[in-house]
Amino acid sequence: MKSKELARITMMVVAVLVVGSVTGCKNGRWIWQKAPTTAGGSTTSETSVPPLGGTDIVAGARPMAMGDWQRGEFQPVYFDYDSARIKPSELVKLQAVAAALRGNTKRLIIEGHCDERGTAEYNRALGERRAQAARDELVQLGVDPSRITTASFGKERPADFGHDEAAWAKNRRCEFVLAN
Amino acid sequence: MRILKGWLVWWAVTTVAMAQVTVTVPGAQKRSFAVTGFVGDATLAVRVTEVLKNDLQLSGYFSLGTAAEAEFIQQGTVRANGNHCQVECVVLTRATRRAVLSKVYSGSQQDLRRLVHRISDDIVQTITGQRGIAQTQIAFVWRRGGAKELAVMDYDGHNVRQLTYDKSISVRPRWSPDGRKIIYTSYKSGFPDVLEVDLYTGQRRRLAGYPGLNTGAAFSPDGLRIALTLSKDGNPELYTMDADGRGLQRLTRTRGAESSPVWSPDGQSIAYVSDDRGTPQIYLIHHSGGEPQRLTVSPSYNTEPDWSRPPAGSNLPPMLALTSRVGGRFQIGVYDREQGSVRPVVADGADNEDPSWAPNGRHLVFTKTQQRRSRLYLLDVLANQQVQLPAVDGDASEPSWGP
Repeated sequence: MKSKELARITMMVVAVLVVGSVTGCKNGRWIWQKAPTTAGGSTTSETSVPPLGGTDIVAGARPMAMGDWQRGEFQPVYFDYDSARIKPSELVKLQAVAAALRGNTKRLIIEGHCDERGTAEYNRALGERRAQAARDELVQLGVDPSRITTASFGKERPADFGHDEAAWAKNRRCEFVLAN
Repeated sequence: MRILKGWLVWWAVTTVAMAQVTVTVPGAQKRSFAVTGFVGDATLAVRVTEVLKNDLQLSGYFSLGTAAEAEFIQQGTVRANGNHCQVECVVLTRATRRAVLSKVYSGSQQDLRRLVHRISDDIVQTITGQRGIAQTQIAFVWRRGGAKELAVMDYDGHNVRQLTYDKSISVRPRWSPDGRKIIYTSYKSGFPDVLEVDLYTGQRRRLAGYPGLNTGAAFSPDGLRIALTLSKDGNPELYTMDADGRGLQRLTRTRGAESSPVWSPDGQSIAYVSDDRGTPQIYLIHHSGGEPQRLTVSPSYNTEPDWSRPPAGSNLPPMLALTSRVGGRFQIGVYDREQGSVRPVVADGADNEDPSWAPNGRHLVFTKTQQRRSRLYLLDVLANQQVQLPAVDGDASEPSWGP
């Protein structure tokens, strides 16, 4: 499969780039570090994990190459409080995402986010449901589900650091990240 | 038929176990105790006395008073010998002048606090017959700048050691019952994974890195299984797996999200959060699956269950603590099975969340957020007393009390 080959090549390129170094995320707010080989982050033991999913899973496999992620191409999709329902007003945003995925093999990461008014672990689950609701809508619009990966951040990464309804409304969202 | 029988037994056991929640418990009555201090090395004596007083106060079993009135009187000596020190501690009953404890402790001066914690636990054990908590540790999430790292500290908030240096998000630590490992949710890969860190070797490995959400991992009381939330087969559902990540078994099938599993003390059932029927509430399911049973109905938002495991010989029943949302604030409550209701235990207008039981089943550690700063507090559930732990730079949250 083409996308698998691409992913493999990208992984190799990235592996060369990040050995012993730090990769920066596109939005510049977060710096992600590859597993150190010392200080407990043994890469050998991290490879001895159970197989990641199989062919029968619903969720798409994760793209590995974080350096190639394109953020901010799409409008975030917003949600009501404690809800993972896609509002009719947000559908047009998802249609734009679906259109952009046509005619290429790019992967899509959907990040689910919550406002600060839920407890941490519950918000992690709620953020995942939001990402999945957006994913399901994209699948309805014809996107192959195997190209989509969800990632819930709960309330860890607010878009707005305020503490009022205006801020919360901006934080109950899905963001879309394109990966090659 | 056999399945049904198993179910009835399980049902009966959990019902009986949880029906004891409202039993009034001896131990809330404090014993008067006089710490007279230590003679010998003056500098060390001051430190030892200070730590011992704090430990005995935090234990909840004692009210500290003067030697003229106290039921028990402590006396002792401290000797420094190079880097080492030796502490002798004697505890007498005032009435009979009989020594109930007389013991010599030695260790390095750097570990002086640990040494005093041993003394404190011996005093608690001798006088109350209960296991002390002074030698236990608490793992927590330490936020400094944009990153959340894991750290471990002594139960009194001292001796903080940072565990991860990932400059990522590491959250929801949970201890293995033997105290050797901590499992937690890490975003180091860019996605939420369940990782394990071995505290002896420092080795880390990934236990669950399936597509979607991997979080909420919690060890069974025997340490052999882990319950967790995965979304690889659909929306977030509950699973169990072996401690090494193999042997995955799905427990729930709902339209809602299941999260925050915690095992019952007997390891037979798992309490968790589900919003399948609207707002998040606490449910109970057999560890091998089956029909879930709803526990909480109100308040309208109940999350973060933690089930206490009182040690053998304790008078305390197992208790299910949780975080409710009432009037836009988080408060800590304890679920009362007989009443079928949630009794608030920390509801003071601040945001109080993340309750985690001490191994004695009497104390909770939790996060209190005020003026946007999150700090860890201890609560003695019997005495209904809150104590703030010494603050770290930045914020502390999601504590987990070790065995």
